[in-house]
Amino acid sequence: MAELLELENVWAGYGDAVILEDISFRLGEADSLALLGRNGMGKTTLLSTLMGATRFKSGRMTYRGQDLAVVPAHGRAQLGLGWVPQERDIFPSLTVEENLTVVARPGPWHLKRIYDLFPRLEERRANMGNQLSGGEQQMLAMARALMVNPKLLLLDEPLEGLAPLIVQELLRIIGQTVSSGEMAVILVEQHAHQILPLTRQALVLERGRVVFSGESETLRKDRAQLDKWLGVGVH
Amino acid sequence: MKTIDIIHDEHRALAAVLQALRFVVNEIRSGKLKADFRLLTAMVDYITQVPEKVHHPKEDNYLFPKLRSRSKQAAELIDILEGQHVAGYRMTVELLQALLHYQSVGAAGFSAFDTLVQQYLDFNWQHLNQEETELLPLAREALSEEDWAGIDAEFSANFDPYAGAEGEFKELFGRIVNMTPAPYGLGPAG
Repeated sequence: MAELLELENVWAGYGDAVILEDISFRLGEADSLALLGRNGMGKTTLLSTLMGATRFKSGRMTYRGQDLAVVPAHGRAQLGLGWVPQERDIFPSLTVEENLTVVARPGPWHLKRIYDLFPRLEERRANMGNQLSGGEQQMLAMARALMVNPKLLLLDEPLEGLAPLIVQELLRIIGQTVSSGEMAVILVEQHAHQILPLTRQALVLERGRVVFSGESETLRKDRAQLDKWLGVGVH
Repeated sequence: MKTIDIIHDEHRALAAVLQALRFVVNEIRSGKLKADFRLLTAMVDYITQVPEKVHHPKEDNYLFPKLRSRSKQAAELIDILEGQHVAGYRMTVELLQALLHYQSVGAAGFSAFDTLVQQYLDFNWQHLNQEETELLPLAREALSEEDWAGIDAEFSANFDPYAGAEGEFKELFGRIVNMTPAPYGLGPAG
């Protein structure tokens, strides 16, 4: 698997505050990573650092061999990083279809394929962004990120606050996206048991530091450590 | 222990549909929602077919016999759970009949359907809970790695609770998600 992203001893934060300490990991093209940890442990900060929204203090961060730390935030999407933030950030005054087409870039993901994956969005194509339910907004946020045809998709707690029925449907769609092999995916979630089966690698953060980096399957089997790090009451 | 993950996954998928069914029926009872029989039929179909064709056969044919042979304590529990599998299927058949009746006669048929839904939900929550809190811990203790490897292989052959062996339930689940009113699903709120 060719290397897509490499972080080596990265320190980053906001202003003078350091949130991430000495973070290292590698991600291959079309690879998948579950980014886990309790609330406030630095997961979202790590995604923000990849997107250039934090203060990078030191270390090395390369994307396809290029120094990512010197690329301005707006240039990272052009490099192929697609971000679905927790806030979803869809355009409320545009229709569903406009939300999708306004960001579209050439590649394997186009409107028809998006509508095949999210039939509900096709039904709602003429509705404005602010007329959608929470679940529909989350689907639109994901769909919009795919329309950018990213090489690396960052999903920040995509299941948060959604009803179980919608969670199950989104998990299925995320699983399909991961297994398509068309992009690498970093998936931040609180619910380890739901996303570890979908990803190849896992990284657990505690107070901004990596306490586990390895195969998802290994972590999935280690109930004691999962309980200790995530307190998820794993089965 | 892939088996346990698969059981959890299938329980979660079923629980999601059961929770949505409870929401829809409660909304109909309180007059906030008009019955959508396409949705109710899809839900009853899912909770009938998926346990019967996807979930229970794996438990009944692979996990239960192995665990029964390894633990006396588990054997007693398995007798109860197997009985619940049979009873649960009968209840879903009654549920489907009550739904057809409701659809035929209109509002006058709601009460009987509602009663059966509530009974089925209570019954099924208890069943899922008993498997999660009693059966699976016993299985973890009693079965060896070799036992698990054999059961895992059988379970893995029929993994996806949303798709079914032939992919037949994927579309059904998607339709339920799309038709169930928000915030439980993606359909228009009542």
